[in-house]
Amino acid sequence: MSHQPPVSCIPNTAKMSKAKKVIEEAREINNPEIDLVDKGISNLEEVPGLFNLANITRLSLSHNKIKTVPAALANLMNLEILNFANNHIEELPVSLSSLPKLRILNVSLNRLYSLPRGFGAFPALEILDLTYNNLNEKVLPGNFCMMESLRALYLGDNDFEYLPPEIGNLKNLQILSLRENDLIEVPRELGQLTRLRELHLQANRLVVLPPEIGTLDLASNKSVLRLEGNAWIPPIEDQINLGPSHVLDYLRSETYRVLYSRHMSAKPPPPPLAVDKNKKASRARS
Amino acid sequence: MPGIATMSLDNMFCTRCGDGFETNEKIVNSNGELWHTNCFVCAQCFRVFPEGIFYEFEGRKYCERDFQVLFAPCCGKCGEFIIGRVIKAMNANWHPACFRCEECNVELADAGFIKHAGRALCHACNARIKEDGLQNYMCHKCHGVIDGEPLRYRGEVYHGYHFNCATCGVELDHTAREVKHRSGYAANDVNNLFCLRCHDKMGIPICGACRRPIEERIVTALGKHWHVEHFVCAKCEKPFHGHRHYEKKGLAYCEQHYHQLFGNLCYVCNQVIAGDVFTALNKAWCVHHFACSVCDAPLSTKSKFYEYDERPACRRCYERFPQELRRRLRRAHQYTTRR
Repeated sequence: MSHQPPVSCIPNTAKMSKAKKVIEEAREINNPEIDLVDKGISNLEEVPGLFNLANITRLSLSHNKIKTVPAALANLMNLEILNFANNHIEELPVSLSSLPKLRILNVSLNRLYSLPRGFGAFPALEILDLTYNNLNEKVLPGNFCMMESLRALYLGDNDFEYLPPEIGNLKNLQILSLRENDLIEVPRELGQLTRLRELHLQANRLVVLPPEIGTLDLASNKSVLRLEGNAWIPPIEDQINLGPSHVLDYLRSETYRVLYSRHMSAKPPPPPLAVDKNKKASRARS
Repeated sequence: MPGIATMSLDNMFCTRCGDGFETNEKIVNSNGELWHTNCFVCAQCFRVFPEGIFYEFEGRKYCERDFQVLFAPCCGKCGEFIIGRVIKAMNANWHPACFRCEECNVELADAGFIKHAGRALCHACNARIKEDGLQNYMCHKCHGVIDGEPLRYRGEVYHGYHFNCATCGVELDHTAREVKHRSGYAANDVNNLFCLRCHDKMGIPICGACRRPIEERIVTALGKHWHVEHFVCAKCEKPFHGHRHYEKKGLAYCEQHYHQLFGNLCYVCNQVIAGDVFTALNKAWCVHHFACSVCDAPLSTKSKFYEYDERPACRRCYERFPQELRRRLRRAHQYTTRR
């Protein structure tokens, strides 16, 4: 589909040789951690010998031009950390979800429009970074909220308007970032994430929060609660200015409970989309 | 069921007496069964149902009064029938308003009750009566009843005035302390009673948790003495039993809960940080795991980094972010620093 200008081949090969050198060195000293950051790689199949490094535990491929992830990458059975930050990936192979030891997966700053069916099958994933893509609730696979080992989920800079209520199943979640999405509301089930210590909801279209959020431990000195830049009802906005503990106290109050249920039954139209996202790099088409 | 109009009077019979109906006679139709008006009566009193209201039980129809007389539960207190909510308790039925604490007369239906010696009591009265009952101790020496708290000695209860302090000879009361063990003394020398004053002077350590003297193994920690079984994790309350404990703000924690509460699990490896801890952005890292979250390049304690969703991003990565993202991050940063 895409036409590579022929001139780009020459610097590309030069960079490819750099990648080759990294692989050879790693093989010589048996280094389990491979850094292929900013090597101009556009196709992983072109990196010689990469798929033979069965013993590596970390593969960092940030700042390249990778468009597709070959399913064969799942042969690197010992991978614990896999980093694709800032590439041109539009879709992922479901085979990644079978990596038995994968703990950290970073696909931030890419061009994902969907996730493969069955993506949530990771047996040991702890940190999933999908920041800055084009994802929304409609493209989440059915088993996304079954990744019980997950302790951090970064979904900032995406296009979510709602969250599936099943998110309450991610019992080990400590960090949830939804910074700068299009969220209209968040489900009550967020209140079930008792281990949550960081909640980033800034710059969305939220008006109210479920009272259940008030039960979470988000006001301690180790916690982060970011709420600014939404269309909050005035009483919530006032509490945000006073600090997170005030917000949580208010959410637990009887006054708010009444206000919230009244708001939810009235169902006012959501605030309009605030920002034009077409300038996002993730929207770029190859 | 055929409609009345289509049925001929010849094959219509009263459900009760079995006789037919006269032309123009008023017929009662109840669920397809037909009756003479004066046959449609209560099965008990044979009177017409007041306002047509009847209750059916095992195929027979009763007026409201007789139905209640025969089948409705009776309140164990007032003897009236119970319509609506029935409280079943103490082998009887009760109106909710009739089932009350036999001491203070408070309603028990929703508060719950405790059966105490065949009486239904509210929680408060039960606790009080139980406490009163406990004070009826009998002295092991004179067999008289002890008013107030007894003196406990060698597993029995006594009037305090039967004993004198082993040191100063003062007459004792229930506050006297029995000493069973004391290092450097034979059991027979110390198995004795002392008044509080003399007991204090003996220098027996007091447990920081239960405030009782410690007569066996002593744990000394956090500047206090403890019974072995009372020196516990402030979170899970399990005794350390000699295992390592961690101190924080005058409290002791087991390893697991110390790290769980004070966040010294590494953000990358999720393990307890063994060596030096690097803390930033409300998180902790093993020193060798502290790295840029975008390119995984190690960061040192001196390297400058940018905050990106409460994670570190190295300068090189930050500069490769899309321009519009950098602009938004800068604006967000200004917002948080302004506050």
